[in-house]
Amino acid sequence: MEQKQNIKFIHKVSKGSRFNQIYIPSSMEEFFEVGDLVEIRLVNKKIRVYYSKNTKKLGSFKEKLIQNIFSFLIKFREINQIFIIGSFLTKKEDYNDIDIIIVSEKANEKQIYNDLIKKFELKFHIIILPRDKLNHLLKICPLTRSMFYYFISNMPFEINNGDKLNKSEIDKKHIKFLLMMPEDLLKINLNSRVFYDAIRRLITINRFLENKELNPLEIEAELKELMGDSLFNYIKNNEALEDKIVEKLRNIIKNKLDKINKILKYK
Amino acid sequence: MSKKQAIQEMTNILAVALRHKIGSIVNKEEIYAGKYAKDAEVLLKEAKKMAIKENWNIYDKTKIRQELLKKLKKELQEKNFIDDKKFEIMEIEMEKVLINMELT
Repeated sequence: MEQKQNIKFIHKVSKGSRFNQIYIPSSMEEFFEVGDLVEIRLVNKKIRVYYSKNTKKLGSFKEKLIQNIFSFLIKFREINQIFIIGSFLTKKEDYNDIDIIIVSEKANEKQIYNDLIKKFELKFHIIILPRDKLNHLLKICPLTRSMFYYFISNMPFEINNGDKLNKSEIDKKHIKFLLMMPEDLLKINLNSRVFYDAIRRLITINRFLENKELNPLEIEAELKELMGDSLFNYIKNNEALEDKIVEKLRNIIKNKLDKINKILKYK
Repeated sequence: MSKKQAIQEMTNILAVALRHKIGSIVNKEEIYAGKYAKDAEVLLKEAKKMAIKENWNIYDKTKIRQELLKKLKKELQEKNFIDDKKFEIMEIEMEKVLINMELT
């Protein structure tokens, strides 16, 4: 029996017309005959990348890197699904880090983060959350919906705004939570990048409430249009703020907040 | 800026910072909880900058604590979208920040 168990070969599963199949190599024909009982075991899962409908096909280098990240991460048995999101998918070279969302009930964020850094020596930002939480946030959170406008995953995933899947809902409590920092900036002086993030957040919330597309690139374009090129570049690069600029930025925030609060009042 | 004014400004920022910090703790299931924790850090840094400009005596520190507690309570009461657990951890979080800023 032991001798029989040592007779083995490794082969890829191939596509058949009705069923997928595994061919017995000719060199093995004498060992594996019709009627013999065999056991099939998964040795290596083929890694596929699934693009969201808005995400453009990446260059081979980035796609290969993502495949390698997926291949590395799926070894953690507690991970259910992996998403790559953020500027890595939309910017050619001007991206900050690689944003990863991991769907898991009990994965250890610190361990995964450290292992990823050790393996790839790249800058990662990881968020781990359970499936039901992700689905909930995709319904109620403008920032999460915008984040998932572009994604690549190791498994198929769809976000619709139709009747069934992840249809958006307005959760006033959650929106108010998101408005906290922009509101604080009306009375507190902080660095310009905080103002940039706050106004960007307000545009996203406003678009969500008006049921508009939450494309991060369009949001950035709207931000640029609202501020003008020079101010946009100035605060994006976290330059020091003079009082007059702070006043201008606060006016933008105030107008957006008024608009959002008005919409919320009637929702 | 007089010491009195400095206490007022610093406790204003600290109260907001603590509100963000507490919000990130009690709403930790939010995907953006980490972001709010960072917002709190930015604000705390700002308050620290103000704190090191003065030499605080025991009376100042008592005043800071009283003012901060009053303002923080008000901040948290106004934000009814932050889970009510906020009041349970309010004083612990305030104490941590005051210790960190050497204001105890």
